[in-house]
Amino acid sequence: MINRGNIRDESLARRLVKLAVMACAVAAAGWGSRALGVAGGWQAQVAVCTFAGVICTTLFFWTHRVAAAFLGVAALVATQTVTLEGMLRSTELDIIFFLIGMMIIVGVLKDLGFWTWVIQSVVNTRAMTGLSFTVILCVLSAVLSGIMDEVSSIVVVLALVFQVCDTLKVKPAPFVLIAVLCTNIGSAATMLGNPVGIFVGNKAGFAFTQFLAVAAPVAAVALAAAVGVILFWFRAPIREMTARMARHREGHQGLGPPLRIPYRRGLLVLAVTVGLIAFHSRIEAALGLTGEANRNAFLIVTPLIIAAVLMICRPRRARDYVQNDVEWWTLLFFILLFAIAGALEEQGVTRNAAALLGEWVSGGPPALVPFVLGLSAVGSAFVDNIVFAAAFTPVVQSLAERSADFSVLWWALLFGACFGGNVTVVGSTANMIALGLLEKRARVQIAFHEWLKIGALVGLITTLIAWAMLCVLPAQAPAAQRGAGPGGGGGPAPAQALPQESAKK
Amino acid sequence: MSKAAAQQRESRALTSFFGAEDIMVQQEGFQRNALLRNLLEHLADNHGLRNVDAYYNAVVRRENAMGTVLASGIAIPHARLEGLSQPYVAIATSEGGIAFEEGAPLTHLVFVVLIPRDQPGFYLQILRALSSIMRNKDAARTVSRLKTAGEVMRFFGRGDMVLPGYVCAADIMCDAPTVLRDSDSLKTAIDCFISKDLSEVPVVDGDGDMVGVVSARALMRVCLPEYLLWMDDLSAMVNFEPFAGVLRNEQNTWLSDILSGEYPAVQVGAPAISVAAELARRDASRCYVLNGGKLAGIIDLPVFLNKIFRE
Repeated sequence: MINRGNIRDESLARRLVKLAVMACAVAAAGWGSRALGVAGGWQAQVAVCTFAGVICTTLFFWTHRVAAAFLGVAALVATQTVTLEGMLRSTELDIIFFLIGMMIIVGVLKDLGFWTWVIQSVVNTRAMTGLSFTVILCVLSAVLSGIMDEVSSIVVVLALVFQVCDTLKVKPAPFVLIAVLCTNIGSAATMLGNPVGIFVGNKAGFAFTQFLAVAAPVAAVALAAAVGVILFWFRAPIREMTARMARHREGHQGLGPPLRIPYRRGLLVLAVTVGLIAFHSRIEAALGLTGEANRNAFLIVTPLIIAAVLMICRPRRARDYVQNDVEWWTLLFFILLFAIAGALEEQGVTRNAAALLGEWVSGGPPALVPFVLGLSAVGSAFVDNIVFAAAFTPVVQSLAERSADFSVLWWALLFGACFGGNVTVVGSTANMIALGLLEKRARVQIAFHEWLKIGALVGLITTLIAWAMLCVLPAQAPAAQRGAGPGGGGGPAPAQALPQESAKK
Repeated sequence: MSKAAAQQRESRALTSFFGAEDIMVQQEGFQRNALLRNLLEHLADNHGLRNVDAYYNAVVRRENAMGTVLASGIAIPHARLEGLSQPYVAIATSEGGIAFEEGAPLTHLVFVVLIPRDQPGFYLQILRALSSIMRNKDAARTVSRLKTAGEVMRFFGRGDMVLPGYVCAADIMCDAPTVLRDSDSLKTAIDCFISKDLSEVPVVDGDGDMVGVVSARALMRVCLPEYLLWMDDLSAMVNFEPFAGVLRNEQNTWLSDILSGEYPAVQVGAPAISVAAELARRDASRCYVLNGGKLAGIIDLPVFLNKIFRE
C-alpha cells in the first residue's frame, strides 16, 4: 500500500530517487511548456515549474505539501512571476470561507447527534442482510457526501461500517472500499460534496439548481451502475455478512445499542442550510446581488450565516467548532495552491494551453468533452483531484470565454476529477482518510493493486456514463453567461438555447 | 546472526564477577546486618572500594524494603549505586544458616551484589545465572558445606552458571492470575472484572492456546460505540440504555465473539526489551508471554518497571 503519510520509514536512497524523479518531472514540464509554446517567457516557465513541483510534492511527499506550497508562493513572488496583489486575488477566499462555514455546520450537526441518528437508523434496521446493508451503505455514502463534504461523510459512514463489522466480526476492508467508491461518486452530485464542486461551480458561475439538473442525475446513474459492479465484485464478503447477520439475529442481538436519538434540531439545521443554498440564486436576485462581482454571493455566505447563528446559540462550543472542526491544514493548502494556479493564469499559460487544446482537438465541445473527462480522470487518479481541478480550471475558463458551448467542459472537468478519484488509493482526500481509519481501527491495509482493480473499473464505467449523459442532457450554461436576473440563475436552460446563443455570436 | 548466537557471544561466566578472595565460607553465628557489613568491608578491601557505609546503608535499606531471600536458602541482597564502574559480587556461606528474614527459611548462601546504577538488567541476569541452583533445593546446603573458597569457586565455575547476554521475557514474567476460555460467556468476564478487580483477562481456546483478551475497556466500547459519543446531548441514554442490551445478552454472548485478537505479546525467549517495545508501541499496560501459542505468563507494566528500575 502507498502510505503518503509516513515518510519517516523511507530510506534516504528512496527519498533521493523520488527527489530526482521530481526534478526530472519539473524540468520536463518547464521544457515541454516552452517547446509547445504554452510558456513563452522565463517567468511563465517559473510558474509552470512551480505548479509542477507542488503537484509532484503531493504525489511523492504528501506530508510536505503545505511546506512545498509555501515555498512555491514565495518563489513566484520573489521572481515577480506574480505580484503580491495578484497572488492574494487568486487565493479564492470566497471558496475557503464557504468551506469553513460548511465544516463548522458539520461539526455542530455532530454535536447535535444528527450523524449519530443516521448511523443508529441503519444499525436498528430490522431483518437486514449483507445485500441490503451494502445497498444502504452505497446510497448513504453518496447522499451524505452530496449534502456535506466528502471527508466528513466518509468519517460518518466508516463509523457505521466499523460498528457493523466489529459487531459481526467481519473484515471491514471491502465495506470501507465500497463506502469510499460511492462517496467519491456522490460528491459530484452537488456543490457541497467536494471542494472541486464548489471550485468549479463558483469559477463557472453555476447555480446550485444547475448542479441538481446536471450533476445530480449523472451522479445518480453512475451510482446505480457502481452499485451493480460493487454487488458483483464483493459478492463473497456480502454473502459472509448475510450469514453472520442471520447467526447474530438467532441470538436476539442487534448491531448496536437500541436507542432513540433526538435528531430534529440537526435535521432542521441541515434542511435550512441546504434550502438556503438551493435557492441562493433567487435570494441573490431578490437582494439585488447581480452581476459578475456578486456571482454566487449568497451561496458563499449562507454557510457563514448558519455557522454564525449556531455559534451564537452554542457559545461554549463555538471555539471548539472553529479550532477542531475546521480542517485548517487542508484549507491552507487550498489557498496556496489556488495562488500558485493563479500565477499560470497571470502569465498567460492557461490561455495559451486553451488555444493549443482548441487547435489539437477539432470538433469543438463534443470532441473536447471526452478529452477533458479522460484527462481529468487520469490526472485525478494520481494527483489529489482539487490540485488537478485548480490546474485545469483556467484552461476550461479560457475556452468557455470563447463560447457558451464550451461550458459543458466544466461538467466534464467536475465528473472527471470526482470519478477519477476512485481509480487509485491516492485519488482523493476521502480515500486517504478512509485508509488511515482502516489502518488505525483494524490494522488492515489495502494494497495499491487491489484498490486499482475495482477502482479503475468503477472509475471507467462512471466516466463513460458521465460522457454519455453529457451528450444527451440539456445544456447548462453558467448563470453569469446567460445574464443574471430573477429567472436567470435557477432553472435549467432549454436544450436549444445555447447553440442559438453561440450562433448569434 | 541468530539470537542464540548473539546470546552465546555476549554471555559471561558467573565466576568472572568474583574471585576466591571475595568468598567468605562458614560464616556462623552472624546476624544479617553484621554479615552484610563484613562482606562489604571484605569486598572494599579486595577492590579498593570506598564509602562502605553508604553501600551498607543502601543494601540494608533495599533488603528492608523488599526481602531477597529465595525459598531455596539463598539470599541475594543488592543495591544500585552511583559511582561504580562495574558490578561487584561477594559470597558468604553458612552451614548453620542465618536468619535473614523473620519467618523465612534460614539462608545458607548469601550473594551481595553491588550494581552500577546504569545497568538495570544486571540483577536479573544474576538471577538467571543462578536459576539452575535455585531449582535444586539442596544446592545452597551443598555449597555451605564446602570448606574453602577454592571449592566454592569450582562449584560456581560449572558451565551452566552463565550470565546471559540479555534478560528474557521469561525472566520477568508472572503467572496469569485469571484465564478464561473462549467458550465462557460475557457474564463470566464481567464477573471477573468486578470480583477480582481486573481490567483485562486473557482468553484461551480448548487446546490452551491464547486466542485473545477481553477487557473492561472493550466492554465499554461495545456499550458506548464511538459514534454515540459524538453527541453533546446524552439525554437519550441517561438511564444507561446502551448497557441494557449488553446486560440482556451477557449470558448468551460468548467471549469468542467479542474478544480482541490484538494484544501485546512476546515469546518466552524474546529479550525483555521487546516487552518494553510492545508495551510502548501499543500504549498497553500488560504484555502476554507466549510459549509457541500457549500462554506462559504475563508482565504488567508496574512489575516491569520495578524489575528494571528498582529491583
